[in-house]
Amino acid sequence: MELSLQKGSRSRILAGLLLLVIAIFIARLFYLQIIQHDEYVRQAEAEQIRPLIIPAKRGEIYAYDSGNLVPLVMNQTVYTLFADPVMVTDSTKALKVIREVAGGNLRPKTEDLLARKDTRYQILGTKLTRKQAELIKKESLLGIGFQEVAQRIYPEGGLAAQTLGFVNDGGTGQYGVEEALNERLVGHDGLLESVTDVSGVPLTIGDKNVNKPAKNGDNIVLTIDRNVQAYAEKALASGLKKLGAQNGSVIIMDPQNGDIMAMANVPTYNPKDFTKVKDAAVFNNNVINSPYEPGSDIKTFTIATGIDKGVIKPTSTYNNLDYIKVADRTIVNAFKGETGVITMQHALNYSLNTGMVTVAQRLGDGNRITRGARDTMYNYFHDRFRFGQLTGIELAGEQRGTIIPPTEVEGNAVRYSNMTFGQGMDLTMLQVASAFCSLVNGGTYYQPTIIAGNVSDSGEFVEAEQKRVYPNTIQPETSKTIHTMIRKARQAFYADYDTPGYDIGGKTGTSQTIRNGKYIDDETIATYLGYGGNSKPRYVIMVEASGKGQNLQGNLHALPIFTDISNWLIDYLKLQPKG
Amino acid sequence: MSYHTAQQFYSRRQSAWNRNQNTVSFVSNVKLGPVTHTVLVALMVTVLGLVYLTQATRATAYDYEAQKIDNQIAALETKKTDLEIENARLTALDTVRSSDVAKVTTKPVSTAYVR
Repeated sequence: MELSLQKGSRSRILAGLLLLVIAIFIARLFYLQIIQHDEYVRQAEAEQIRPLIIPAKRGEIYAYDSGNLVPLVMNQTVYTLFADPVMVTDSTKALKVIREVAGGNLRPKTEDLLARKDTRYQILGTKLTRKQAELIKKESLLGIGFQEVAQRIYPEGGLAAQTLGFVNDGGTGQYGVEEALNERLVGHDGLLESVTDVSGVPLTIGDKNVNKPAKNGDNIVLTIDRNVQAYAEKALASGLKKLGAQNGSVIIMDPQNGDIMAMANVPTYNPKDFTKVKDAAVFNNNVINSPYEPGSDIKTFTIATGIDKGVIKPTSTYNNLDYIKVADRTIVNAFKGETGVITMQHALNYSLNTGMVTVAQRLGDGNRITRGARDTMYNYFHDRFRFGQLTGIELAGEQRGTIIPPTEVEGNAVRYSNMTFGQGMDLTMLQVASAFCSLVNGGTYYQPTIIAGNVSDSGEFVEAEQKRVYPNTIQPETSKTIHTMIRKARQAFYADYDTPGYDIGGKTGTSQTIRNGKYIDDETIATYLGYGGNSKPRYVIMVEASGKGQNLQGNLHALPIFTDISNWLIDYLKLQPKG
Repeated sequence: MSYHTAQQFYSRRQSAWNRNQNTVSFVSNVKLGPVTHTVLVALMVTVLGLVYLTQATRATAYDYEAQKIDNQIAALETKKTDLEIENARLTALDTVRSSDVAKVTTKPVSTAYVR
């Protein structure tokens, strides 16, 4: 007998309803699982898979200390203490604990912040140490939490502040190495993307997990020696204070390779407290970003140019009248009285402008600073000594300076006569000191550098790439001659200042300043540029002192600082006296 | 379902046979019906599922262990960094200059240089 439901029976209706419900279920499931598949997978992944950024560690910065590496900038994890006032059940206990552990780090009126139940997030304190955070965590206070924050630490305080720069609150380097090498220092964050449990613990289930490790920033090693840097800063600060100058800068270089051993500025600051600085000018490294008229230091370059071109020798003579005419202008000496027939060495010793203009004239037809003479000077000053060109130092804010080519109307004989004694062009101390290295080292211009290399993750020192070298700025013989002339220029007046037995030379500079396009008499910049060593020059030091409304002299306000540093360096570098 | 308690022996001599062939074959008398097959398959699937779940749970347990170790590593690294910073502070020039040892040092009256 065949069983069948009677048409219109309740059983048949029930079966129909069941079929309909099943059909609806199937349709719904088809919609959810097939049509809406991607959307629900996305929602599920959004809930289950959590991307975790693995922050890259910003590179540290090291200096040398007698050949060993010492940290100047490090990283430390500190903690921001926050509260969810709604979740805080026992605010009295919470306040007691956090005050006992981190009283100095709390924001004012902490109790008011905790009482603000209309908010869910209140920062109670900042920069808590790990120990403080651990002590508070032990108390398991409801509604109290921590956020990790990385901050820069400066174990040496304000040492080399302008060279280092600082890292702003956004994590970006500003000024100095921090800005110039920000890309290298910052590294690349990693990514961990995986299914997590409710408490955020990554689980290995799932097939879309991503684990991209962070690449920490490079640990940079500077060419700076912290002892030299510290002494330079101390000598500069005490020298300026003693001599009454307001501002000053020092650069110390190794003339044999262009390495910068120290760079100091006064006034200065502590990068840790960069937010407290009121005058942003202290962030500037005046050695590289304040071009000025270098003054008589440049006479060493003029003499070197004349010797290299064969138009003068140290013993060449000219008739010094204490003035000399160039076109419609009369140029006079700052130091007067050495009139008559004198040698170029004599002119350098007494820093006579007339002697330098004479060199320029001899580069021309002997009486005038011709276009040929100006072309020669421009070739030496701009192309060989690289004045008016960026040195490429690895610091932010380097300025190019200005040197007018003879092809321009302003590059006339009067300007070039001024340039022979350091006026009519703007240069940075770094440009002048770097070029001076080539005068005394045999004629090789080494691109100045502040980066010695980096320390790899495994702790190995990796030397930086060789910087550019420009040979033959002057011939080796010219270098020997100018080297001797510069030594004699110092010995003529200041030989007693130096530790005996060493080869030390230098040249004073006193530059007029320009206000509203005119030279003014009541404000001058004092500089001293020199070298020291034994069988070969081992260091070049340039000192600059200036101040608003201050009339400063190279021999009085910059030379003593040079002498102080030079004599100390001889001991520090353990230089053997010349045989 | 029917059970045959003995195995049956079939001689293959009755049929044509060649060299290197077994001359006898054994056929089990135990016959499994469709319900038994279904139950067995279900059991096998269940066992395999349990094995999978056990392994997945074990892997997850390892994740928690790994997370604990990661946290320990992070904590130790933080401690190491703190110690490095402390070391750098203690050997900083300012600290050395103001140390008790530095305070009691004196300058030599004269220095002889080896030439």
